[in-house]
Amino acid sequence: MNFEVLIASSIDGLTLGFVFGLMAMGLTLIFGVMKVINLGHGPFIVMGMFAVLVLSQNLGINPYVALPIVIVLGLVTGIVTYFVAVHRVINAPELTTLLATFSVNMMLIGALTILFTTSPRGLSLELPSFRAGTITVLGTRVVAVLIASLVTGALYAFLYRTHTGKSIRAVANNRAAAELMGINSSWILALSFGIGTVLAMVAGSLLATLFGFTVLSGGGLETKSFVIVVLGGLGNPTGALLGGIIIGLLESITTIFMPVSYVPVFEFVVFILILLFRPNGILGAR
Amino acid sequence: MATLEIKNVESGYGQVQILWGVSLKLQPGKLTSLVGSNGAGKTTLLRTVMGLLPAMQGSVHFDSRDVTKLSPHDKAQMGLVLVPEGRQLFTDMTVQENLEMGATPGSARGEYKKNLEWVFELLPRLKERRAQVSGTLSGGEQQMLAIARGLMGKPKILMFDELSLGLSPLLVLNLFEVIRKLKAEGYTMLLVEQNVQMALAVSDYAYVMANGRIETEGEAKQVREMESVRKAYLGL
Repeated sequence: MNFEVLIASSIDGLTLGFVFGLMAMGLTLIFGVMKVINLGHGPFIVMGMFAVLVLSQNLGINPYVALPIVIVLGLVTGIVTYFVAVHRVINAPELTTLLATFSVNMMLIGALTILFTTSPRGLSLELPSFRAGTITVLGTRVVAVLIASLVTGALYAFLYRTHTGKSIRAVANNRAAAELMGINSSWILALSFGIGTVLAMVAGSLLATLFGFTVLSGGGLETKSFVIVVLGGLGNPTGALLGGIIIGLLESITTIFMPVSYVPVFEFVVFILILLFRPNGILGAR
Repeated sequence: MATLEIKNVESGYGQVQILWGVSLKLQPGKLTSLVGSNGAGKTTLLRTVMGLLPAMQGSVHFDSRDVTKLSPHDKAQMGLVLVPEGRQLFTDMTVQENLEMGATPGSARGEYKKNLEWVFELLPRLKERRAQVSGTLSGGEQQMLAIARGLMGKPKILMFDELSLGLSPLLVLNLFEVIRKLKAEGYTMLLVEQNVQMALAVSDYAYVMANGRIETEGEAKQVREMESVRKAYLGL
């Protein structure tokens, strides 16, 4: 085997892993705060892709400059989704919230299909590449890593340095006690759902700068997010980032040895192994 | 000064009714205690007052305003603060972060630094532990933190649910010393306790609860001398 191919694939996987981590963080944050498994995660990722597509192709905004708009859009989408679909069933058993978010999933995919059809799309984005010997790293990858790291850093600063961010952690920890402290927990839950959606949509936008996509790309990415979240430990954002990097690396290195179509098989074998031997994930508590 | 009046409250969990027309009034600046054995409905009453449980009947008035239907966070913002049974700390967060969360009400935000100093003076142990994750504190320290967290919200009325539960006699004495200091500061307080003897010793006024009803009430001194109370709760 060629050593340089391995290096190149590892760099590819590492860069992709940061974006996967960001994507899974959205899922894990929502679960960590409100114990809701958001089955609308995939369509949110796709919304990020199409938001950046429309903003760049139809309105001529550079995809990276469009990201703040995507963030605002994600926040609004998430908060509205929370109050429309999740809030009324927030205290119901898990199955009810699963069904509620699944119906969000179906409606969003339906609406997006009407708007954009299911034909393949791609951004036209040219950035200079970085080259060392025979190894080339695409500029879009480097920028994706930078933005994913920046967003992750901003999330942590928010959760650990601001009163509102700490309130999110307090509600996640003990919702009734948070209410007794004067924290409006419904608003905090809505905000958390909004932030989870932002993370999914920004990850979607970044993925759109790397690959072609369709309205239906969300399904595979959603299951990938689940694998990553379980790998890192449910409800743990750092774990999600770590899990994302592991899955990214795994994915690009396995493709050296076997066809791409085997990647999901490999991923789910890892998933099952984790569930068997380390059910709380790598960074999961106890 | 703040008052709290509970009128004919009935409440419970689903089909099971626990409270049967409970009325209770807190005098401004006084320490009132609500005592009774396990299962009498004391915690249910506090949960209903705060709005964690809906009232089936009756009303709760805070400063002569009807607050029965308000959410717990609205009541906390107004200055009605409960230190809940079992502490209910944010166990994944540090001591100081817990205190910050206590200072969420608008009126408490601006005075955070001043209140923090005062709370650390009242409970110096917490100052040493400020950076420690609260879940790793000892039981006594956790109870101290729960009280301190309540105080950070600039309460007009402070309610304590089973402060002494599960603590050693020495720690219980320390806690009641803190309650005495707060009383001297002029807080309007409601102390809910199974430790009837201690509660009656520090209170001005007392209610005795049994089977979801108020059985007796009166000046704490008088209640302590009542034959029925001595037999049922003081083991005399």
